[in-house]
Amino acid sequence: MQSATKFLKSYPALAIIAVLLTGFSLLSPFFLTIGNVEAMLGANAVVLIAAVGMTVVFLAGGIDLSISTVISVSAVASGLVMAATDNVALGAATAVIVGFGFGALNGLLIGYFRMTPFITTMATGLIARGLAFVFSSGIAVRGTPYWMLDFGFMVWFGIPAVMVIALLIVILSGTAMARTTWGRHVMLVGSNEAAARFSGINVPFTTFSVYLFAGTLGGVAGFISIANLGNAIPGVGDTLLLIIIGAVVLGGTGMTGGEGSVERTILGVAILAMLTNGLNLIGIPFYDQLIIQGILIFLGTWMAMKLGTRRES
Amino acid sequence: MSRNTIRTLISRQKWIAVVLATIVLAAVLSLASPVFLTLSNFQAILVQSSVTAIMAVGMTFIILTAGIDISVGAILFLTSALFAQLMLDTENYLIAFVVTIVCATGLGALNGWLVVYFRVSPLITTLATYSIYRGAAIHLTGAQNIPVPREMGFLGNGRILGVPVPILIMATIVIIGVYMLSRTRLGVYARAIGNSERSAKETNLPVGRVTIAVYAFSGLVTGIAALILLARVGGLQSGIGIGIEFTVIAAVILGGTKLTGGSGTVIGSVIGAVFLVLIDNGLNLMNASPYIYDVVRGSVLLAAVAIDRYSAMRRHSALEAQKAARMA
Repeated sequence: MQSATKFLKSYPALAIIAVLLTGFSLLSPFFLTIGNVEAMLGANAVVLIAAVGMTVVFLAGGIDLSISTVISVSAVASGLVMAATDNVALGAATAVIVGFGFGALNGLLIGYFRMTPFITTMATGLIARGLAFVFSSGIAVRGTPYWMLDFGFMVWFGIPAVMVIALLIVILSGTAMARTTWGRHVMLVGSNEAAARFSGINVPFTTFSVYLFAGTLGGVAGFISIANLGNAIPGVGDTLLLIIIGAVVLGGTGMTGGEGSVERTILGVAILAMLTNGLNLIGIPFYDQLIIQGILIFLGTWMAMKLGTRRES
Repeated sequence: MSRNTIRTLISRQKWIAVVLATIVLAAVLSLASPVFLTLSNFQAILVQSSVTAIMAVGMTFIILTAGIDISVGAILFLTSALFAQLMLDTENYLIAFVVTIVCATGLGALNGWLVVYFRVSPLITTLATYSIYRGAAIHLTGAQNIPVPREMGFLGNGRILGVPVPILIMATIVIIGVYMLSRTRLGVYARAIGNSERSAKETNLPVGRVTIAVYAFSGLVTGIAALILLARVGGLQSGIGIGIEFTVIAAVILGGTKLTGGSGTVIGSVIGAVFLVLIDNGLNLMNASPYIYDVVRGSVLLAAVAIDRYSAMRRHSALEAQKAARMA
């Protein structure tokens, strides 16, 4: 019993998941059907991939407000390349390169030039959004290769292919954070930058690398969004920022850095995914969903902070 | 004045940089277009900046305490919805005005209270209330566009003694803001909290009350901005307030207020808001695609922060060099 309480204390998100799971499966017989679970998994790959990037940035004590619109601009760039060449590999490479570019820009400015993460990524996010709309003239990019459309519906090992990719990214990033020197450096920079500097860690490079990482994952997420939606949509990232940040903090990774993990973010994404899906099933209109989502993100973050071992601000 | 004096002046009074940038941009625009330097265009620019400028006054106080409010766009939308709905239901201006302004202040105060008592970071808190307020607004109006009575237009397009009403309201709020920041305890305490919340607490400043007060004040002025906006666009539209939080924060930062709190001015933020409208004005003169606006705004903001950072680094290395010279 005691170990169970301890477990719940370190993962308060699990309690929320249990409540949502029981509640929605009682309220709707469709909630736990294979079809619905598959739909939930497929629809949340984009958020999960981007949220992994955001988690690593949070762990390093930063924030990347540009990641949502980097998704948009890399989706649009990738969509345009695929429409012109009908080559999916080239499209994927384009999305990754665009994300990489924005990540590198953020990383240079924040890591080496020591600019404030909030304002820097807010500005690059505006630029990314503008470019997404300029390149696409503000409309969905047409001419997506058929393979991409199929890819959105592919199922590997019983899981939608896009989610398999997202989970692979979680596993790889989680391993990198837990088992490599880089991961330890990121955690130390996030928990105590001065100590990190004194112990000889290259703080500018470490900071640079987390934004590069997040930007690149933003690019991957943009590419996946085309498979999900069938087209590259310039506004795809506009509403995602709240969900991405919400998922990370609900999972239990704080904004102050050094505490949390990539794996936890799966829990946060699961909470928001189940919430949206369940509320849709029982017919709650989207505006009431916004209210519930906001309350849940706030209370969940507060709970994680209260129960967790996290130190005061 | 030598170049060095100007440089020291800017480093001491950061808002002067945005004033200079605004003058330069205005000069360029007046060369590009003959109508630019007319009184009516000048008034039009100020009227266009009024909503963001008014909101920037409130945001300045929040950022001074090292806080942030992402929900201001949602407060703008919710109070607009509330006013439009109340006018539709009661047709009573007094009730609608009073309820709207009280609620706007309350929504801001709620943000402040949540930040103070739950100790969740202001960013997450106001991101959550952003979602809540926006949802509540659409819930309230059933996702409908509601026109406001014609007489409301006075607040947006009317004139008193030849001066457009939005400019008068903006000027009043700016004067109140400047006064509050420089002459009242609230202003002094807000700065102190932004400099170091811990020292502020240790010297027994009412940190909680001041924090709630600055968020409430921001809510109040956002409510007033909502009335002007409603009057100018003629009614409630679903897109009101989306993304405006970033424009408001950009105006405050361009005006030289530090995001980490403790230093900044109201005047700077207002000029920052005008500067952003001037950029739009210039892009409009060049017949630029509306989609390029975000790219230009982002680039300008990035450039401003980079220049500020560059000069800080240079000052720092100059100080180090002086120190080294003294040691030698």
